[in-house]
Amino acid sequence: MAKVVYRFSKGERFVHWLHGVSFLLLLFTGLGVLTVALQPLSNIFGGIQVSRNIHRVVAVIFTIGIIIGFVGKGEGARQMRRWVRDVLNFGKDDFAHAKNFAIEFFGGHKPFPPQGKFNGGEKLNSMFTILGTICIAISGYIMWFAPSMPQFLVQWAYPIHSACALFMAALLIAHFYLGVLHPDSNQALKGIFTGWVPAKFAYEHYEKWYQEEAEQTLKEV
Amino acid sequence: MARKMVFIDTSLCTGCKACSVACKAWNDLPAEKTKRIVSYQTQADFTPTTWTYVQFRENYKNEKMQFNMIKLQCFHCADPACMKACSSDAIYKTETGYTLIDQDKCIGCGYCTKNCPWEVPKTDSKINKTSKCTGCIDRVEAGMKPACVQTCQPGALQFGDYDEMMAVAQARLAELKLSNHKANLYGDQFMGSTTYLYLLEDTPYSYGLHPNPVSPISLTIWKDLVHPLGGIAIGASAVAIAGGVVANFVMGNYAKRAKKIAESHNEGGK
Repeated sequence: MAKVVYRFSKGERFVHWLHGVSFLLLLFTGLGVLTVALQPLSNIFGGIQVSRNIHRVVAVIFTIGIIIGFVGKGEGARQMRRWVRDVLNFGKDDFAHAKNFAIEFFGGHKPFPPQGKFNGGEKLNSMFTILGTICIAISGYIMWFAPSMPQFLVQWAYPIHSACALFMAALLIAHFYLGVLHPDSNQALKGIFTGWVPAKFAYEHYEKWYQEEAEQTLKEV
Repeated sequence: MARKMVFIDTSLCTGCKACSVACKAWNDLPAEKTKRIVSYQTQADFTPTTWTYVQFRENYKNEKMQFNMIKLQCFHCADPACMKACSSDAIYKTETGYTLIDQDKCIGCGYCTKNCPWEVPKTDSKINKTSKCTGCIDRVEAGMKPACVQTCQPGALQFGDYDEMMAVAQARLAELKLSNHKANLYGDQFMGSTTYLYLLEDTPYSYGLHPNPVSPISLTIWKDLVHPLGGIAIGASAVAIAGGVVANFVMGNYAKRAKKIAESHNEGGK
């Protein structure tokens, strides 16, 4: 028997995976035009021109899908909007959590103040992801329709698109580690598949959220 | 072979467009349906199969009309922004001073187009190849003049070694200056100096040309800053997680994890 609490609604999980899978597809179909050395990568998909078409189709799914995730009155969309509100509300407790990031990252532990649904570290990751997604999408569409766009706009879209892609890839590597490889924080992994996470883990990492909301969903499985 | 120059003396141009036709003929480029754009101009911009065209501007002063006619094509910059922007190492320089696109390597990404100050290269989206004036490199390397120069009736186009042509250009500028103080050379003072040098009768602006074209700063930031820093970020992230796995392993956190989870099963929340 294990006690679990409900962490992620269907909508949140759907948008997370839509974002994750399409980001990886976009990254590997896009790296081929970043530099000549990476051009052989596009052969995985059947060459540079096939990669280019996949990149555009996935880009549309990526952007439209995520926008749809935020629209409507459903529980998922409500939680998505709440996520953005939470993330933008970065306070003293969040800072206190985030400043010990390196210690936790390398397996240590330092006490931190009770956290809400998203802890300081997650909020930072979310902020970079939201900002990066907006910038990469806008710059991407500008590059797609370059011939009918003003020259300076396209010129600046190139470095912005590359910067977002590369820094989000770096962020993704760290995110993968914390979600899958890190012995403490990877207890959350089930949450992004099933929605439910171990109750004790939730209490230890998100005490405030646990007390205020999560405890009401406590069940044994 | 020494560096070459095509000197374009706009004061001698009659706007006959023979250069444009000769270019199509020699380079085997299909004719396109044209329409009147403005004045006698029939081509709005470069296309994948139109590498040179004549631009007409009618400037009125004291109730007199002055034709500002100019043959446009790739400038073949000594320091081309397109080459730096190219994703595929398809753009290269020849020792004769030409900037060329290797059609086998080109993937038609179009990065060169918007980074060129004049947006000269154009991409054929059906075949995903980008093309522009080749300077008739095949003719030049065989000791002939480019097709446009060969055909120019009024002698507005001249071709030769860079230094010799520069002397011709300077002499002609001095001559023109006697009656027109606005006369100026366009091409020797930017982008590392261009292979196609113009003698203009008016300001560059009045020909619709950038007065001072530069390689965009965004291009430098993109290639020299974002790419190396992005690579470092990804490398650093990968090294950090490898370090994290090792550190957790050494501290016994993976062994402790099973125990901790068993506990959490029993204890539940608080």
